[in-house]
Amino acid sequence: MKTIHKILVVAVVIFTTGGMIVGCSSTKNAYTAATDVQDEFKIEKSGAQMWGEACNRCHLAPSPADYNDTDWSTIALHMRVRANLAENEIAKIETFLKSAN
Amino acid sequence: MKKLTILLMIVGFGHITYGQTYNNFETDSVTAPEPFKPSKTQFMIRGYGHTGLNFMNTEGEKESSYVGSAFAPIFLFKHSDRLMFEAELEFGLENNELEVGLEYADVMYILNKNMTVRAGKFLLPFGTFMERLHPAWINRLPTRPLGFGHDGIAPASGIGVELRGAFDLGGPKLNYAVYSTNGPRLKDGSVEPEEAGMLMFQNFEDNNNSKAFGGRIGLLPFADSSTEIGFSSYSTSKVGTTDSEYENVGVFLYAIDFAFIKQIPAISGFIDIKGQYNNSDIDDATYTEVHEDGDEEEYTFDNKSNSFYAQLSYRPTMASSDFMKKLELVGRYSNLNTPEGAEWEERSDQYAFSLNYWLTWRSVIKVAYQTTDSVGGHDGGGTANGFFIHWAIGF
Repeated sequence: MKTIHKILVVAVVIFTTGGMIVGCSSTKNAYTAATDVQDEFKIEKSGAQMWGEACNRCHLAPSPADYNDTDWSTIALHMRVRANLAENEIAKIETFLKSAN
Repeated sequence: MKKLTILLMIVGFGHITYGQTYNNFETDSVTAPEPFKPSKTQFMIRGYGHTGLNFMNTEGEKESSYVGSAFAPIFLFKHSDRLMFEAELEFGLENNELEVGLEYADVMYILNKNMTVRAGKFLLPFGTFMERLHPAWINRLPTRPLGFGHDGIAPASGIGVELRGAFDLGGPKLNYAVYSTNGPRLKDGSVEPEEAGMLMFQNFEDNNNSKAFGGRIGLLPFADSSTEIGFSSYSTSKVGTTDSEYENVGVFLYAIDFAFIKQIPAISGFIDIKGQYNNSDIDDATYTEVHEDGDEEEYTFDNKSNSFYAQLSYRPTMASSDFMKKLELVGRYSNLNTPEGAEWEERSDQYAFSLNYWLTWRSVIKVAYQTTDSVGGHDGGGTANGFFIHWAIGF
């Protein structure tokens, strides 16, 4: 058991340290937009589509009209962490909810 | 008198005329209200509650009771776009008493787009059930699968620090979480002899200097995010109290979880499949059993446990009838196997079925039937059948 624990601890330390270095070295905190060339070939999902996919993974997708813009920004931050959603995913969902409420 | 009347009329009409002139758009002192400006600091109360009626038949012994009225408020304090404090309290009525619990209370900070740090008491990402699916308005059945909750083998929450985040891989997605907590403590049998060798995950003050480490990695391989496969582990080298004979007992737990949720036009609705396998391996130790005549007997056992659940639900969201659209059929199988030779040895299989009616996206009425076959365990085993009518609401 001790060997397994040591392996796990080393793995966690390496993963955390590496992740911190890579993550904190990035100067871009916002979702990086695609270049023009990428845009030409990329079909991006809409916020509405992501809302349907991401929310339904755990619970029924919420009605945008149930909260105002201020509430949605609070809920979005909470759900980003709770459901471990990607930054661009939650940003698009939040924009959709605020536009449709 | 005539002059006085004329004078009063001049004053009166003059006043009205002046008043009308004053109240025009150019000179009006009342300005139009400004658009609503939200404050930078935001506070919200969310949460959920549930109540219901239970009928239980355990080996011919029947009982029925209204239960619950559980109330779980969640407090969200958003300090900025990166910083938030969240806490959930849980009020429940059990054994004729009001029980209050702190489900979680943690502060979180968004370090960058792929990394968030949390500290405090948080729900552990050991599989997905306890972290994401256990609230009554999310859980499709009125009960939890075997292996979770009281006397379960899967941890629910811990006090410590966590790093988590997600990556968009251009279609597929990857999410991760790594954490360190106080870890569980071992029940050595001195207080509850029948539970010697079990883990107690409510370890508010660490009983030793060894911390637990764990993590989960989840992969959503398809662009529509319909499928998620996750692997979790949780380990500590010491779960016994410092300087006790159990100090060096180590633990390794792992879980594998799976989820598939998709709207399939061919069957006119949503299919939702979820499952999780939990495995617990605790170092062997020697425990003491005290017999009724006062004699003591030492015993040991291979301290390995596992549990599993698989759940399938179907919602006919594309049906023509509004009533049908709000229905959901759910079936779940779960089992639990605890160590052979332990006082808490148990082999249980459980089947649960429910017909749910969704009043809104966050309010559901569940009519469920559940049957559990057990060998061993706290109640000595046998068959327990239950019929439940529960109403859950999220807010």
